[in-house]
Amino acid sequence: MKIWLRLLFIPFVAIFFAAAFWTESTAQKRDRFSHSTPAHKKKDCNSCHSNPTSNWVAARGFPDVADFPGHAACFSCHQRDIFSGNRPIFCGTCHVTVGPRGKARFPFPVRTRSQEFSTIFPHDVHQDIIAKNDKDKLQNVAVAHFVMASYSPPAADDDKPQFTNCAICHKTRSDLPKTEPRIDASIKPLAEAASDTFAPKAAFFKDMPTGHASCFQCHFQGLQPAGINCASCHRLGTPYFDKNILARYSIKFDHESTNHANKDCTTCHVRITQNADLKTMKDADVPILTCSTSSCHGSNILEEIGKRESSIAEKQPAFQCIYCHAPSIGRFPIPKSHQNP
Amino acid sequence: MLGLFGSMSVQAQSLGSLEVSGRLRVGSKSEKITRKRFYLFTGGLDQHKTLTDKLKAADVTSRECFYCQMKASPEYIAWLKTGDCESPYCREITKDDTTKVPEFQAAYQKGIKQYRGKADIAQMWLTTNLPPTLRDGFYQQRKSLLKSLLGTLKPIQSSMTDTVSVKAIFIDIPLKSSDISELFLISNLIPIEIGDKSYVWACEVEIGADKTEKLVLPVADSSKLIKKCELIVKDLPKCTGGSCNTK
Repeated sequence: MKIWLRLLFIPFVAIFFAAAFWTESTAQKRDRFSHSTPAHKKKDCNSCHSNPTSNWVAARGFPDVADFPGHAACFSCHQRDIFSGNRPIFCGTCHVTVGPRGKARFPFPVRTRSQEFSTIFPHDVHQDIIAKNDKDKLQNVAVAHFVMASYSPPAADDDKPQFTNCAICHKTRSDLPKTEPRIDASIKPLAEAASDTFAPKAAFFKDMPTGHASCFQCHFQGLQPAGINCASCHRLGTPYFDKNILARYSIKFDHESTNHANKDCTTCHVRITQNADLKTMKDADVPILTCSTSSCHGSNILEEIGKRESSIAEKQPAFQCIYCHAPSIGRFPIPKSHQNP
Repeated sequence: MLGLFGSMSVQAQSLGSLEVSGRLRVGSKSEKITRKRFYLFTGGLDQHKTLTDKLKAADVTSRECFYCQMKASPEYIAWLKTGDCESPYCREITKDDTTKVPEFQAAYQKGIKQYRGKADIAQMWLTTNLPPTLRDGFYQQRKSLLKSLLGTLKPIQSSMTDTVSVKAIFIDIPLKSSDISELFLISNLIPIEIGDKSYVWACEVEIGADKTEKLVLPVADSSKLIKKCELIVKDLPKCTGGSCNTK
């Protein structure tokens, strides 16, 4: 064979082998799967995900989407990616160990990865469908059907009134959540926060469902949106990490104090029964005048407002409101909503 | 406690507020209409004649009639009545209920097969195997009634009566001016069943920025206009032999 032909053959072979290891698609460039790619967005959720997955008994204990989609869902488009080198990054989306023998998969979903979907929950619809005519007639009847929504044994009965529609999903917490002050970055504080030893209790807070267990209790099938109709409840958005930190204006509010626990939730959460999407709510949405004009707290709040005004008039360090707030919030200017009821 | 929403001045826009009391006196009995939704519209009764005409003309299917027409078993209807429930989502379906109500038993048996013999799931997820008409049929029927009543009309707010104060509270009602009060219409639209009658209110209220407007719903034996409230009272149809008739 002539020398020039050999020389031409060498780069050809090199390119051929290099191509086998070359990143074939953007799927190889990312470290994980994205639902946001144009090709994935065109797909119907059910073309990849099944509900329930075959591993539901062991993985969840209730029928659920508890595993990654099977190979068929990926390979119809990404067949070349799996032959991309010895350890294709593509496979690492689901598999713990990348390689022909690496069958083990990460627990689904992978909690350490950013989330791509937010949840749509229309409180108004749920309030309507589980509304009752008269709770008094139900005193000897167990509370609403969702009571075991968290897939845990029902709490022991007690004498507290059960305001069903909210308590179904929002129970008093037994663990203390992480909290942070809800601060509007556009407003400047009047002082450094004073030291404060106040420590909230777990019972100050309510929890909320965090998975499919509660939703599927009614929506697994039949009742729309059903469990296979993912997009009705999950909205694709910018990836985010769930902070799991509750932001609060009034860290000292105790849901379980006697005169709070005996009220219906909607007495303070006035607008929740008309809310079609939580994402449209700007904040806790409890009008402050509910408290500040009440006979219970009105005088205390007015007193603090007076102290703040006096401290400013006397050019003293601004008084920090601590009746409802921690100093981290109480050091800010008093918002209009608190004044002149 | 909630009496002073009226002067909320959170935003520059003038805002009003309204409290609708669900405590009624029907005959000699006092009734509380808890967890019932009321809708708020801009404009008074004159502006909403089409709506009030529709409300007067609307066919009312009572809860009992609906389930009766859907051939629900007497046990199922009795279960709903026990808790004054409109659907099976109203309260927990106990194991005892499952043994007694044929529809629950059938759904449970389906669940046992479907959920790999897991009895707890078959029980807790029982409604997922109920026939659609008995599951959310009544709700869907009311939803379509609401849709047909509203047409293109859109309420500016809606609120439900709570279980303690029995009030539906509306806050941050947008007003054109802080000096002049404006007319609004408040209505439950969907008939509320009390005893053997259904009630619909369409009440004109004047809301200003200076104080919370309070509305007490008037009650009468028959439809009439009382204190700027169009009250529509209808006898609930009775179900006999699987068909419904107004007595």
